[in-house]
Amino acid sequence: MKFNADEIASVIQAEIEKYESTIDVREVGTVLEVGDGIARVYGLSNIMAGEMVEFPNGVNGLAFNLEENSVGVIILGDYLEIEEGHEVKALGKLLSVPVGEAVLGRVLDPLGNPLDGKGPVSTTELRPVEFLAPGVAGRQPVREPLQTGIKAIDAMTPIGRGQRELIIGDRKTGKTTIAIDTIINQKHSGVKCFYVAIGQKESSVANTIKVFEEHGAMDYTTVILAGASAPAPLQYVAAYAGTSMAEYFTYNGQHALIVYDDLSKQAAAYRELSLLMRRPPGREAFPGDVFYCHSRLLERSCKLSKELGAGSLTSLPIIETLEGEVSAYIPTNVISITDGQIYVQPDLFFKGIRPAMNVGISVSRVGGAAQVKAMKDKQVAGGPRLALAAFRDLEAFAQLGTELDAATQARLDRGYRMVELLKQPQFQPLEVVDEVMIIFAGNSGFLDDVPITRVQAFEKEFLQFMRDHKGAIRSEIAEKKELTPELKTSLTDAINLFKTSFAKGK
Amino acid sequence: MAKSRRQLDSHDAAHQQLGAVYAKALLGAAENAGQSDRVVEELESLVSDVLNKLPQLEALLKSLRLTHEERLPILDKAFGGKLSPMLLTFLKVVSKHGRLNALRAIAQQARKQLNVSRGRVEVLVETAYPLSNPLRERIVGRLQQLLGREVILTTEINDELLGGVVVRVGDTVYDASLAAQLKRMEQVTLIHTKQAMRESLQRFAVPT
Repeated sequence: MKFNADEIASVIQAEIEKYESTIDVREVGTVLEVGDGIARVYGLSNIMAGEMVEFPNGVNGLAFNLEENSVGVIILGDYLEIEEGHEVKALGKLLSVPVGEAVLGRVLDPLGNPLDGKGPVSTTELRPVEFLAPGVAGRQPVREPLQTGIKAIDAMTPIGRGQRELIIGDRKTGKTTIAIDTIINQKHSGVKCFYVAIGQKESSVANTIKVFEEHGAMDYTTVILAGASAPAPLQYVAAYAGTSMAEYFTYNGQHALIVYDDLSKQAAAYRELSLLMRRPPGREAFPGDVFYCHSRLLERSCKLSKELGAGSLTSLPIIETLEGEVSAYIPTNVISITDGQIYVQPDLFFKGIRPAMNVGISVSRVGGAAQVKAMKDKQVAGGPRLALAAFRDLEAFAQLGTELDAATQARLDRGYRMVELLKQPQFQPLEVVDEVMIIFAGNSGFLDDVPITRVQAFEKEFLQFMRDHKGAIRSEIAEKKELTPELKTSLTDAINLFKTSFAKGK
Repeated sequence: MAKSRRQLDSHDAAHQQLGAVYAKALLGAAENAGQSDRVVEELESLVSDVLNKLPQLEALLKSLRLTHEERLPILDKAFGGKLSPMLLTFLKVVSKHGRLNALRAIAQQARKQLNVSRGRVEVLVETAYPLSNPLRERIVGRLQQLLGREVILTTEINDELLGGVVVRVGDTVYDASLAAQLKRMEQVTLIHTKQAMRESLQRFAVPT
């Protein structure tokens, strides 16, 4: 396409003609020292905490420390071009990011600048990065489920919309995978997803984005990226910026999901800033307000009251532990802030139990209220959590090689099959109906005579069978979201029918 | 860069804080004797006429090799009879505490504090061309009217401004320079033109 220069010139001329000259009044200071993403500025005597400042090369900063003689500024961008003696201008506003439908499907940096080469983000709406969480009157209890599509989680540690569920575990145990599966599963739920990558390798983020694209999840997802090479201030701000973009939907009566991957790196970035600013270090050299840093962030996830539009923001913060040490500073902090945690363990992971969730110590403090009725049924997810925990004890006991009585042996067999049943390959979230049917089958003992090695084949073929031949039952469960006695009978009949054909196919 | 370097020396935050304390004490004593203006003027001339011209003397006074006792005769010999006795005593006190290296900051802070107590305000006016005297007076008159205080005007010439005037009062800058106006006009026009193009791309296309 060719452009008409005259037309452009006429627009510019019109702009110049109506331009009104006003005197530019600004509050200024002088850079005293700069380095490692922070600057110390003399002057700016009326600046407020958290106010934005501008450096001569157009880079922005945030007033972070207000001291008697100087102002500590964190630099959001390239600090290498800033020199001593440069003039710093106070902008008199708070840091804001672009929000709205236009950010969906994009990869952005924490300031809302595009990183995906798809052109500018075409939205005029901005939202402050730091926003006060709603008070008690603005909230209501969590009541709708957020289906993760992962059997083990939906059955045993259900997550509700507006809940904060921590995913915690060592490196390489599948924490991110749980979050990605959950995002992929929101395809038809209308939940807008935000994936905030903090301090991660850009190559792994590129992989994650590719997975989103392959599963069509990028249409409703925004990736906010402050990679491992990004300066600490950007890594620190990324979590708040992502929340702000997600809140736009929450406050417009919609549902949003945000994944912070991960908050331990964000805490480390905040520690770096605080130490450079010479704030006194506390435990593990973290500053005293690192708890507030996370609590004010996670408190913004909520289920809004009807008056505010009943939107919700669900968050899945991720914390990486070292050698399973959950009693370190940041893990204990975030565990105490969130409404439950999913604990993933390397030993389970290497045993092939994936997701490698430790059922005994994973909890959800509110999700039960938000579980669909069918899932809550005694014969579905009513029992397996405790049963599985008991099974682990029994299993350890059985390894001693003692003779077991028939009842104990039966419980062990059931346990082995349930463990096998709850395994799920990555990026294959299940619909809630399928989860209900297969867990019902396992929990009611229909798999007890299926060899353990055939359990996964059973699951796959059974779900296919239900879809192809018993579509009526399937859609009735999906519609009613409840297992009535009649439905249970017909489901049992269907399972028995399937088992005859399954046994033959062996 | 040279300019910003000079500014920096005067912005050593720790020295400024130190200077403020000594300046307050000096002014307190001078006020009682009713000679604040004279003492501050003398202190400033000490910095500008002596220290600036004799860097060796400044280095000697700052030097850590000399003890207070060794510095006393130097101070007496160099300044005895030339400075008011109060200022000389003050220098000796500063020397006793080993703070002669903060002398410049003390002088700046003393001037600042004296200005505040006298209801005066320092204003820096930058222009592209030298100010004529009547213009200068008009600017001072207008500023005094606006700020409601006596104005001490310092002027600087900065040809990057192209035209207009930049007034700096404390940390606040009132920028009415041509360069800033042009820059802002550029920014606003760019934003609006981009927006217009995004709204209706067809309008700008060459009909084919």
